[in-house]
Amino acid sequence: MKVSRRVILRGLGGATLALPFLEGFSDRRADAADETVDPFVIFLRQANGVGAQQTFTLNEGPPITEPERFWPREVGPLTPESLEGRALEELVDYAGKLLVVRNINMENYDYADGHARGALQCLTARGPVVPGVGGDSEADGESIDHRIGRELNPGGSDSLFLYAGPAGGWLGGPCISYRGSDNRRSALHDPLVAYETMVGQAGGLSPEAIAQLVERNRSVNDLVRDQLVALRSSPRLSSNDRQRLDLHLSSIRDLEATLTCRLSQSQEMELAGMGTLYNSGDGDDVFATVRAHMDIAAIAVGCGYTRSVAIQVGNGNDGSTRYRHSVTGDRMENFHYVSHRLLTHGGEGDVYQGADELHHEVDRQFARVFKYLLDKLSSYPAGDTTLLDHGVAVWLNDLGNGPAHSPRNVPYIMAGSAGGFLKQGEYVVLDEGDRTPNLARVLNTLGSAAGLRKENGDLIDDFGDPELDRRPHPDLMA
Amino acid sequence: MLMPGRRSTDHGVAPHGGAKKTYWGGGAENGSSPPGAAALRGGSERGRARGWALRLACVGAALLGASGGLTACNGFLGASNESGSEDALQVDRPASASRFRRLTHEEWRNTVQDLLGIDPSELSAAFRDDPRAAGFLFDNNAATLEVDQALAAAYQRVAAQIAAELTGDSASLKALVPEVGDDDEARIRSFIEQFGKRVHRRPLTEDQIEAYVALYDVGRSSFDDAPGFGGGVRLLLEGFLQSPYFLYRIESSEEERDGVIPLDGWERAQRLSYFFWATMPDDELFAAAEAGALSSKEEVEAQARRLVADERAASVVERFYTQLFEVDRYTRIQPSSSVFPDVSARLASAAAEETRRFVRYVMYEEQGGIADLLTSNVTFVNADLAPIYGLTGTFDTDFSRVELDPGERSGVLTQIGFLASNATSVNPDPIHRGVFVAKRINCLNIAAPPDAVPPLPQAGDKTNREMVEEHTEVDGTSCKSCHASVINPFGFPFESYDAIGAYRTEDNGKPVDTSASPPIGGVRVDVTDATELAHTMASAAAVHECFAKHLVEFAQGRTSVSADEGIVSKLGAESLTGVDFKEMMVRLAVADSFLNRATEELP
Repeated sequence: MKVSRRVILRGLGGATLALPFLEGFSDRRADAADETVDPFVIFLRQANGVGAQQTFTLNEGPPITEPERFWPREVGPLTPESLEGRALEELVDYAGKLLVVRNINMENYDYADGHARGALQCLTARGPVVPGVGGDSEADGESIDHRIGRELNPGGSDSLFLYAGPAGGWLGGPCISYRGSDNRRSALHDPLVAYETMVGQAGGLSPEAIAQLVERNRSVNDLVRDQLVALRSSPRLSSNDRQRLDLHLSSIRDLEATLTCRLSQSQEMELAGMGTLYNSGDGDDVFATVRAHMDIAAIAVGCGYTRSVAIQVGNGNDGSTRYRHSVTGDRMENFHYVSHRLLTHGGEGDVYQGADELHHEVDRQFARVFKYLLDKLSSYPAGDTTLLDHGVAVWLNDLGNGPAHSPRNVPYIMAGSAGGFLKQGEYVVLDEGDRTPNLARVLNTLGSAAGLRKENGDLIDDFGDPELDRRPHPDLMA
Repeated sequence: MLMPGRRSTDHGVAPHGGAKKTYWGGGAENGSSPPGAAALRGGSERGRARGWALRLACVGAALLGASGGLTACNGFLGASNESGSEDALQVDRPASASRFRRLTHEEWRNTVQDLLGIDPSELSAAFRDDPRAAGFLFDNNAATLEVDQALAAAYQRVAAQIAAELTGDSASLKALVPEVGDDDEARIRSFIEQFGKRVHRRPLTEDQIEAYVALYDVGRSSFDDAPGFGGGVRLLLEGFLQSPYFLYRIESSEEERDGVIPLDGWERAQRLSYFFWATMPDDELFAAAEAGALSSKEEVEAQARRLVADERAASVVERFYTQLFEVDRYTRIQPSSSVFPDVSARLASAAAEETRRFVRYVMYEEQGGIADLLTSNVTFVNADLAPIYGLTGTFDTDFSRVELDPGERSGVLTQIGFLASNATSVNPDPIHRGVFVAKRINCLNIAAPPDAVPPLPQAGDKTNREMVEEHTEVDGTSCKSCHASVINPFGFPFESYDAIGAYRTEDNGKPVDTSASPPIGGVRVDVTDATELAHTMASAAAVHECFAKHLVEFAQGRTSVSADEGIVSKLGAESLTGVDFKEMMVRLAVADSFLNRATEELP
């Protein structure tokens, strides 16, 4: 007998979610006038740098200079004029809520691979556990999304780590979120699984049925916990065994009778109907998955399930996704080739003609999908404003540009003030444009924006590599 | 090869990490190693180079002496000096290991199928992927298989769904829970004892039985749509499927005897079944465990031979080799459409299928071993692959067994999958081919290249080999030490195969030069081409020992350590004499290191 996981949720095939109506959200927000909304951070990671101005060589040929296609035209207040013709102009509707930050520089750790250096550092501000091992690298510390969840989520529940793109690939696929040193987190690939992980039980149940479910769940959980405690009591356990059992023990969560935030049944069906789109290498499928993940992320932060979400698009070098040109519909070569400007994952091969413009096209597509998230967050009322204003969404990269794979000038585009913590409506250049590694300062600022504090109530300054300057950056704060 | 600021992709030291994995927080101030400390102290347990292998270190340019070049890629040859003597290499003893190996997702599927007679593959699609264990070749590294919230929640949902399906009607209920005695109490207690024994893979204790009985009692009044007995069984099943005794392969034996901790019969049955079949013990293994028969090596061997002959073992062997040869990397195969306009869009998937069929053929039809894997000129092709091999005749989408020219093809390393997945879109990539063969076939450790390696230049009028040589073997550079002595000698013999794996005798109008002198077993061996290289490796003790090491790691779910030297040497030596791979697996399964635990636990 084949047992189907979709026996309850029948798919409709391929449709992305429409604006979800949250059964419990409206009720919860009905008297929201006096209700504070906890700040949150949602990270969206793009690989391979952006189409910024750069000069480089290919195959030892003459220097090639590409014009600026990403950053605003001038520092200062963001206006339609300053964004015109740049990838960021896709976000012009949110110009007043953006904080575009230039001159964020990563530390040039010896990861022996630019992608590892960027992807494993972008949320950790850490070097490698073992230097110089390239694709076998692991970050030597916790990522900020996990830290936020660990300290601020109800019951210390895990923050959401979501992944869009084909499984596996360079750096093993999901690679930006870490539980601790050398302890990479698993990502949720399927938006339906992410949703089910969050809500815990099937929809459409009466209050009595929910109460029964909660009680059953607790009975089973109590038995499992007792068994884990008994196993853990053996004096012969290694530290790794003990830690894994502890993680399992802490991962058993009782369903809450009051959890009401969920999609409507038809929207659950749409989510189920996405099938295996989430494992596709087609850029349109990948972005459809990203948008579904964003729907989940918005519910998650809006309903207080988590204070942080990380969405990773593509594997370590996004070398398995082929985006489609939004005008011609043609599939490009994989995005890693585009960033190299060569038809190869290495450093030599045929020149990929027009790849610079394709890179700009991909940047615009990412900007549009980031706008989708901002639209989503803006659609939920929260007090006298919207959910967007209570948190911050961050569209980040792990490289500054394509061919050179630079650790400097790595884009972190922020939207939302996190309840007035962050500046808005500006294009700023940190540290007067010098090359000082300052990512750790940015991540400590974002962690503080989400609500992390030291015991004395001060903003945090202890996240990331202790060898780096980790003070929150005043140029980001309102 | 590399752009400024970009680093090589596959050059790495021996597998690293693991010992200092932190779970909450992490970083120097929380007690784990400060950045770089792992390298300074020689790496964690997983990071230390294997003592008995040729150890090479591509040190930085600053350490080059006046002579530069080869003197900087130095090391020692031959046996390990960690254990101190040749005799020590032959001692088969268990290494310290985890006591809790979480079922991999595949093991979970197989186990549920055998436990309940259902196909849960669609259900397990809800399980999030396990993260990659850096430096470990297989997907079953015990130290990294965790149950986090997402997976715990998925186990919970799936358990509820399975339980509802299996208890949804009286017929299903009766099939699951045989009628025993006159009342429900006797029936359920019998079920808990018997079914629970299969779930836990050992008899339940009285406390465990009582706890399950209590859960059953709760379940009797917990389902409006399943009152009474049915509801009780339903909740019981949910509990069984979420129990850590089900989800982990647990080894709790503690009694020491003769310097080891013998595994009891239930633990041995579990090790055997998961090694050979990736699933729970069958009735025959359970019966052997129950009777105490598995305390006898003879009985263990009999069971091992029975298990390895089964089709389920063939699937496990296939999985071992597809991971060892990185078949999932074949998805990278994307040859230039301008240079190779006639290549099928299905090349990557066809090449993967070829490798899988080849492995099964060699191991199960030909009863072959490592040498056959490296030297057989038999393969399986369809219409997508045949033209690349230069085969004439009619081919369609089905795969046919063919024999290739033994002068051109020898084993898996001369097949399209390996060759094309280690190539650029236009040229063969002797560097990545060389690194793969050095690391995975010869177990040589190669450090990552230094920073800021310039890219390969245009070939101009040079051959690919000439261009790579000119770029990587420049006197006075740190590159030369490893490229000239290890990487290039293993990679250049494959220059007779282009970027899609087709055979060639010319490159850029010049004859292809495939001669080289790679270090095999610590000795430089002159080879004229890839087929000679393959045959040479097939008869090299170091290569057989390397495969044995991989097998031990796969069986034990951990990186090999010095304590494994004995069994690795023994299996490698036996493989060299012609012992086939299935027999190697049997001999591993009866080894002291497999049937016992070390008295010392992991830290």
